Amino acid sequence: MDAPSIKELMATFIARDIADGEEVFVGTNLPVIRAGALLAHLHHGPSMRVMVAHTRTNLYHTPVMEYFELLTDWRGARWAEAYFNDNEIVMYQKSRRDSVFFVGALQIDAFGNSNLIGLGPDPRHLTLRGPGAIATTTNASHVRRFYLFVNEHSPRVFVPRCDFVSTVGWGEGGSDSRRRLGLPGGGPRYCITPLAVLDFEETTKRLRLRSVHPGCSIDDVRARTGFELLVPDRVPVTDAPTVEELDILRRRVDPQGLLRR
Amino acid sequence: MRAAGGSDACGRSARPPSDPPAEITLNGTGASAERRSLLIDEASLADWFRDGMCVALGGLATACHAMIGVRHIIRRGLRNLTVVGSAVGGLDVDLLIGAGCVRKVISPYVGAEALASIGPFYRAAAERGEIEVWECDEGQYYAGLQAAGQMLPFMPTRGGVGTSYPEVNPDLKLFTDPVRGETLLAVPAIEPDLALLHAAQADAYGNVQFVGTGYADRLLWRAATRTLVQVEKVVSNEEIRRAPERTALLAHGVVRAPFGAHPFSSPGFYLEDRPHIALLVEAGRAYARNGDRGPFERYLDRYVRTPADHVEYLEAVGLRRLLALGEY
Repeated sequence: MDAPSIKELMATFIARDIADGEEVFVGTNLPVIRAGALLAHLHHGPSMRVMVAHTRTNLYHTPVMEYFELLTDWRGARWAEAYFNDNEIVMYQKSRRDSVFFVGALQIDAFGNSNLIGLGPDPRHLTLRGPGAIATTTNASHVRRFYLFVNEHSPRVFVPRCDFVSTVGWGEGGSDSRRRLGLPGGGPRYCITPLAVLDFEETTKRLRLRSVHPGCSIDDVRARTGFELLVPDRVPVTDAPTVEELDILRRRVDPQGLLRR
Repeated sequence: MRAAGGSDACGRSARPPSDPPAEITLNGTGASAERRSLLIDEASLADWFRDGMCVALGGLATACHAMIGVRHIIRRGLRNLTVVGSAVGGLDVDLLIGAGCVRKVISPYVGAEALASIGPFYRAAAERGEIEVWECDEGQYYAGLQAAGQMLPFMPTRGGVGTSYPEVNPDLKLFTDPVRGETLLAVPAIEPDLALLHAAQADAYGNVQFVGTGYADRLLWRAATRTLVQVEKVVSNEEIRRAPERTALLAHGVVRAPFGAHPFSSPGFYLEDRPHIALLVEAGRAYARNGDRGPFERYLDRYVRTPADHVEYLEAVGLRRLLALGEY
């Protein structure tokens, strides 16, 4: 078997952090997150609640999970056990208390606050109009925990201050920062990038280097982060998937090889 | 007492309870002997739209947008619309922006996911200040619609506390909850004049049924003053009564619309037409890149201005293409 790709490594990291019984949303257009969620389900999460678009499913015995590119591809409903309206899923956050969630970003600051609104000083005339927060603002306020996920690790993304904040991470910093804002959700746990995994230092809730992916050095990560990243004395290399995990990924979750491109 | 003097998301100030709709006859005079059909033909769509109105467009992302109505809006050259796109607004919104019909967009997203991560006309018009964007996330968007449906001035949300939303959208106001003292965000009602939707089937009396969930179309119907629904099939009232639990909403008008969501998908009927969507995206990108409206004007000529009605539009697309949009 070929050595795991960085994307397969990132998906494996995500999978190992999701426990059986938790709820996870399998979105579209996010192949690494989708693969991580499904790998958790097929590897060690037979009782996970898996939401595929607007359906609740269980795929534990499904031989191959076909990839759908579009959210509204109703062929994904072939596995549905239940069907929900889009507004119900977003509005009724009480059922999301055991849900894990993923947030993308144009910008992330040192406390994990992030921006999908856009770039520029004037909100009425953004120099770059972002995709918008989608449902990340509301979901990240309530879910058990969430993960920041970006496809680029650069000083453009990791900035001292976001032009706008669309999703609160650890606010102004400090482990009680979210409680002070009245946000019941558990907040961001890790930030996953193509270079490394970052976590949050327990007291200040500043971003800290947790592991570097194979082939990437601590200095690379430092140089490509636009604020001072906390770096502990010992920084391991991100764990590789086991043979079993890689087999599930390649045979059942990602037979098209999207994570190897 | 109306001390605050605020307005809803569409910019209307607070108003007194409305009179009963004119078409309801309270004293029995003018009553007809037969149940009134709500089927309307394309020619009378003009009665449903006017400049400056607030229109909600149903469906989600690349599915189930009411494209006969959208093309009608462009053909009539309507202006200054406030468009409430769906929570994951599609290129139906982008098309209206490109055609110059839109003043303001209320939608947490406009695009086509993998086919166009953001609508090119939407991005260009927003960055150039040609349209107003009412910034919100999906939770705030749905809260505003729910407020309208419940005839309340606002709905509180927690999503947005601690973010830049109150700054980038001054209509979203932080307030102290009088019950528990929490800081929350007040989202004003989003009350469309008209919800324009596309569904699987309805009878002539406005009983509308979906294949699948209908996304958030039920909520758009609850929030809007009137609802116009295109359907793939008009069916008998007996057919509706075979499964009344499937009836999702009651339309004020029903338009017969086979392939009426084209180029977007319609669950149970056809998938999205990707080459056609690519035409739209490319036309938008040409404009966004260097202000070249040529490809978009050619698109409008061929698919919007020249076809006199929906059948002529489908003829322009071509039977072979339409029949190739099957599920498997």
